[in-house]
Amino acid sequence: MPSLKYFFINIVGTLLRGFPLPAKTGLRKIGNPDRSSPVFLTCNYAVSVERVKKALEGMDCYLLVANSNGINVWCASTGGHLSNHSAVSVLKTSGIEQLVDHRRVIFPQLAAAGIEAGVVRKKTGWHVIWGPVHAKDIPRFTQILEDGHRKDANMRMVKFPLLHRLEMAVMWAFPFSLILALLTYIFWRQMLILTVAASWIVPLFVFITFPLYSGLLTGKKGKNHGFYGNYGSYGSYPGPSKEPHVGRPLSGKLGISKYTVLFNIGWVSLILWLVFMLGVLPYSLAAGTLSLSLLLRWGFVSLSMMLLVNIDLMGSTPVYKSGLHEERLLKVMLDRERCTGCGICVDVCPRNCFSIEGRKAVITGSERCVQCSACIVQCPEDALYFASPLGKVLMPDTIRMYKLNMMGSRLKKGA
Amino acid sequence: MYVLMRILESSPERYDMGISVVTLGRIKPAYDRIASHIKCGMKVLDIGCGTGLLSIRMAERGALVRGIDINPAMLEIAKKRLKQSDMPEELKENVEFSEMGVAELSSVSEGSYDAATSTLCFSELSQDEIRFTLRELRRIIKPGGLLLIADETVPKNLVKRFVYALIRLPLVIVTYLITGTTTKSLREPALQIEEAGFAVESINMNGMESFTEIIARNPGSH
Ligand SMILES: C[S@@+](CC[C@H](N)C(=O)[O-])C[C@H]1O[C@@H](n2cnc3c(N)ncnc32)[C@H](O)[C@@H]1O
Ligand code: SF4
Ligand code: SF4
Repeated sequence: MPSLKYFFINIVGTLLRGFPLPAKTGLRKIGNPDRSSPVFLTCNYAVSVERVKKALEGMDCYLLVANSNGINVWCASTGGHLSNHSAVSVLKTSGIEQLVDHRRVIFPQLAAAGIEAGVVRKKTGWHVIWGPVHAKDIPRFTQILEDGHRKDANMRMVKFPLLHRLEMAVMWAFPFSLILALLTYIFWRQMLILTVAASWIVPLFVFITFPLYSGLLTGKKGKNHGFYGNYGSYGSYPGPSKEPHVGRPLSGKLGISKYTVLFNIGWVSLILWLVFMLGVLPYSLAAGTLSLSLLLRWGFVSLSMMLLVNIDLMGSTPVYKSGLHEERLLKVMLDRERCTGCGICVDVCPRNCFSIEGRKAVITGSERCVQCSACIVQCPEDALYFASPLGKVLMPDTIRMYKLNMMGSRLKKGA
Repeated sequence: MYVLMRILESSPERYDMGISVVTLGRIKPAYDRIASHIKCGMKVLDIGCGTGLLSIRMAERGALVRGIDINPAMLEIAKKRLKQSDMPEELKENVEFSEMGVAELSSVSEGSYDAATSTLCFSELSQDEIRFTLRELRRIIKPGGLLLIADETVPKNLVKRFVYALIRLPLVIVTYLITGTTTKSLREPALQIEEAGFAVESINMNGMESFTEIIARNPGSH
């Protein structure tokens, strides 16, 4: 039976997906573990902890909650919050070493962009096993492990099903509607219900219909991703390089700055907005209600709607490609000479981009890559690296050192 | 007041300018008092050294300092500061900054330091980490050696605690919104240090009881 806490945390977590929600770090006992029971690790995002606990129900094991500043595993590991230090710390200080005789710990696969299995091994003696992407697969995963098999492709893959898309929609709609509700309540009470309704309908519509049009966009504009919120990595996107862009500049974009990931106000929407406002003028004249305050209020409401529509909602998801920022595309490259075919990249890639053929890795699905860097971070031979469209190369050392952040300092530092 | 530290840490470049403003100038004199216990030739471990202000101050007094921190960006600034400081080159060689968390203290050999210092760092550790660190420090610090701590603390006095919480709340919110993290203050650090087996020699608090400096000694025999 999931506890009341499970439901509570899930509801709060869903409404406030974009915000950290820290849980206590340290050791949790599940069932009646003994000295050979399995050890799992997760981050200290309260929603993750509850979900993992629920998945572990009925098992006898230990759960280690590592410090990720209250952010979910994927965002925290790509954003530098869930790092080698978080893992080393909980392994050494939680007392787990006194409780079990073995030294095998199962990490969530999505932690692979932030925690280096090799470093954890060297510093603590613990051997890292990359578990499934989703907590609910843990029971099946432990069975597979016992049988001596490897995780199947399904367990390794991050998808973006309707339920997750709805969660993302709520993540945008809830805070946005609150702010808008407050503002309209102050300035224009009659519009309250309308604006709140609109701020829920727009994201819901955008997210539900993604699969219908995402193919069209990506075909044309290249493979790009802005990440944001508790699904992707924290507003993370490798920033543009300092050099002027080679080739055709992005056409007709009036971005706020070239760093802006979230807003992309194109001329089209500006013109539409102006047309709308020009329409309000004769309409209110005819209706005899024209006043400056009416214009201002209509202006505000329609402007906030335009902003909402123009947030790069799709680019804020982990797997759909943003229509913007073509220039920031990074591509995973393989140095075949170095590769030993160990298969670690296959094991950690959340988009199943790799396969092993003839004892070498082959990049078979680069169009699915979301540039999470997990494969590069984990490759024991440094056989993988990023290349930018401008011909810059980001080597594994740089990628391990500079985690992503809003301003994309990685590409800058690496350059 | 120190909640804002998290904001500063998230952009280490601004850290130093901010830290003295945020601590209302309280941290600089605290560094001085701590450094005054450090003598020429002593081996000192500075835990959570950040941008190295205290480490360098102790090195200027002729100490051999190792500063450890988990934040590489802060360490980069510490190294730069050391390079640019006007202390003699041979003293600079006595300072070493390394990326290392408290969890790795078990790799430091027994009795290898005369003193350990830590400013504004314990409040960022989890209870598990604090317990672990103190236990390791008992081993690492030579018998008779010093543990010097300065940190933000929760006032004991109920009225002061209430006022303190009130002042802190908006800062906590601002910090949370900007960095998505919060800091806690230490609760009864002296008690914990004593429980770990150190002999606490002096506890020095500000009027609000929100900032505490502790001098403790490792009695040696376990
Ligand atoms: C507020 S700063 C204080 C820095 C410096 N001591 C000062 O007084 O300015 C706290 C420092 O503790 C470091 N820290 C946090 N957790 C740590 C850990 N587990 N091990 C080592 N250092 C840690 C942080 O990276 C940060 O640089
Ligand atoms: S992890 Fe590296 S060495 Fe191993 S198969 Fe992949 S590319 Fe080759
Ligand atoms: S191939 Fe792309 S998606 Fe897969 S692990 Fe590497 S960077 Fe991530």
